[in-house]
Amino acid sequence: MTMALDIQQLCVFSDAQRLVHDIALQIPAGTSLTLLGESGSGKSLLAQAIMGNLPAPLQCSGTVRIGAHQSDARLQKARHSLWGRQIGLLPQEPWLALDPTMTVERQIAETYALVSHPPADSQNDTLRAAKLQARSLAQSALQGLGLQTAAKKYPHMISGGMAQRVAFLATHAAGARMMIIDEPTKGLDSDRRDEVVQLLKTALAEGIGLLAITHDVALARSLGGRIAVMLNGRIVEQGSADEILDRPQHEYSRRLFAADPANWPSYQRRKTDAANPEVVVRIENVAKRFGKQQLFSDVGAVIRKAELVSISGPSGSGKTTLGNIVLGLIKPDQGRIERSSGLSRIAFQKIYQDPGAAFAPSISIRRSLQDVVELHKLDWQVVSALLARLRLQPALLDRLPSQVSGGELQRFALARVLILKPVLIFADEPTSRLDPITQQATLELLAEHARECQCAVLLVTHDREIAKHLADRELSLQ
Amino acid sequence: MTAYTDSSAPLPSSGRRFSLVSRRGAGIVLLTLIAVFAIFGPWLIAIDPARQELSRFLESPSWAQPLGMDQLGRSMLARLAHATRLSLSMAVLGVLSAAIPGTLIGVAAAWRGGWIERVLTALADAVLALPGLLLVLLLAAFAPGQFWPLYVGISLALWVEYFRVVRAASHILLASPQVEASRLLGFNTIYLLRRHLLPVLLPRIFTLMRFGFAGAVLAMSALGFVGVGLQPPTPELGVMMIELLPYYSEAPWLIGAPVLVLFMTLLGLVLLAREEEAA
Repeated sequence: MTMALDIQQLCVFSDAQRLVHDIALQIPAGTSLTLLGESGSGKSLLAQAIMGNLPAPLQCSGTVRIGAHQSDARLQKARHSLWGRQIGLLPQEPWLALDPTMTVERQIAETYALVSHPPADSQNDTLRAAKLQARSLAQSALQGLGLQTAAKKYPHMISGGMAQRVAFLATHAAGARMMIIDEPTKGLDSDRRDEVVQLLKTALAEGIGLLAITHDVALARSLGGRIAVMLNGRIVEQGSADEILDRPQHEYSRRLFAADPANWPSYQRRKTDAANPEVVVRIENVAKRFGKQQLFSDVGAVIRKAELVSISGPSGSGKTTLGNIVLGLIKPDQGRIERSSGLSRIAFQKIYQDPGAAFAPSISIRRSLQDVVELHKLDWQVVSALLARLRLQPALLDRLPSQVSGGELQRFALARVLILKPVLIFADEPTSRLDPITQQATLELLAEHARECQCAVLLVTHDREIAKHLADRELSLQ
Repeated sequence: MTAYTDSSAPLPSSGRRFSLVSRRGAGIVLLTLIAVFAIFGPWLIAIDPARQELSRFLESPSWAQPLGMDQLGRSMLARLAHATRLSLSMAVLGVLSAAIPGTLIGVAAAWRGGWIERVLTALADAVLALPGLLLVLLLAAFAPGQFWPLYVGISLALWVEYFRVVRAASHILLASPQVEASRLLGFNTIYLLRRHLLPVLLPRIFTLMRFGFAGAVLAMSALGFVGVGLQPPTPELGVMMIELLPYYSEAPWLIGAPVLVLFMTLLGLVLLAREEEAA
């Protein structure tokens, strides 16, 4: 069997330290390898080392063979000529990699015209022929993935899942036999995830070798093939998907798979109606549109004290907008939001998808929390007790928000709203950027503390499993 | 290669930090020297900058007169000290009186939005459409030969860029999650300004001020040249450059002196900049 990718003894290091240790991977043509690991485990460095575009102070050693081309890993430039033709990289959030000023068909045709079939000389006839041929190739490629309706559209007019397929076609148009795919399901709901899996399976059937880098265990499961688990720059476990997923040997892999939302223990659901009649907010016939697009209409719901309600719906259905309307940040076009009387101005709080964006970047976390304590004349003792319960080290307080990990910062954000004893917390995809282990820990803390202080939670998540396991009930948007 | 350590975060490289410190240090030293020269120079040198000794015109530098004498036999060092004091203080005044209102109006426009913003933006566009020189000439027509139209005109022409930069940046900041979170937490306007807006805006305003400073000095000299601004024999950097330009081949050090003072001031200001905005 021919190897699409074969790497031996690959190390990545900077002057001071070794970041990726002694990696050996083989990917035969037509098979996939899923590289699982948390952020900071060195997955992306490994991909950059294979492509040969490590950031300047980093170096690598070992050997890399892409198709028939063998090279010493440290000669990174030698692999640049293989880009597109032999090896392709589908970046994270590929819709950002598309040119917003070009139609889908032209972007794909461009690769066909300029990379895969370069004109023999610059004579106009040849160039024109190449362009014409490229267009028909692009059209048939789009047709192959069911994208013919999107051909004349611009990237902002198509959905995230379609954009991903378009980016895949553009990357693949030059005929690379090996593809590295970075976090293909980041931020996608399960329907979109199935689309991506379908796309990758089509690629496998064509005999392309795939290296998928992800922390999404569900993707690894549905893709099959082989799985490698990476921790602190080392591959701690490698084997076939069934074998690893069913009988993980390494302690870290076990924790990683247990943290997959599908494997969470179910929480005790509460009966919400008569037992706890205290209504926090009443949503009546709310409707909202952005420009021509009607997000939702006639949404009505009642949220009671201390319940955890998840808002579900496909991407673009206005889940975040509904939450912001409940918070009073956006005015609905129709209908009304009725807060229960006697609630203070700060009774409704929000937790953000990207905790880094929700803190003032230039001041320490301690300062941010201290400001809240001083403003509302609270006791710092309450904060330190809460931080201890959220398992946050006091030493982290003196760092800037950019100097702590996403999971830690999200817990600080949780602490910041909890000290105000809110009545309702709107959590907008609070863990979609965190790896599974951190995600589970953070969400459990959120649920536990909210229940403890009798606070209602409105949770937006694209992951049905999380909603199913965590929420008392579901509020569905069509 | 050294042993593996647990943290994968790149270590801050000490070499870079050192050069940054010395860079800013050099800027501070340079500006302090110029400030000392401007503030104490005229008093220490104690020579009347207008006293002429026509027999000593274009005299070469000597121990008594380190910068020599100018075309009318006036002490170049004394004139340079007075000129530095006058030009730099006028430039500081002009830049501050453009930056402070420009910034405040910019934040206000982004904050309030609606018709207030439209009116202010239209006003700024109107000022932008009018050449700065024309504005000063118009004002100077009201009060010929006086100092204030010069200063008011320069400020009026300069505030627009602060307004535009601040308004654009504030728009983005005010819509950001960090400001939204602080509002939900109950913080007031002053806090949002102090913690969220100013830390981002100040470095940009400072960059504009550095270049605006140079622009103000050159604008004043240009106005002197067309006969509206300060007139000889007032010792002012721009006026001196114009006066001494005809003698550049006989006495290049004369024209070189005011140019060097201006250059050093700007160099000091550029060196003060933080590393990330230096590019």
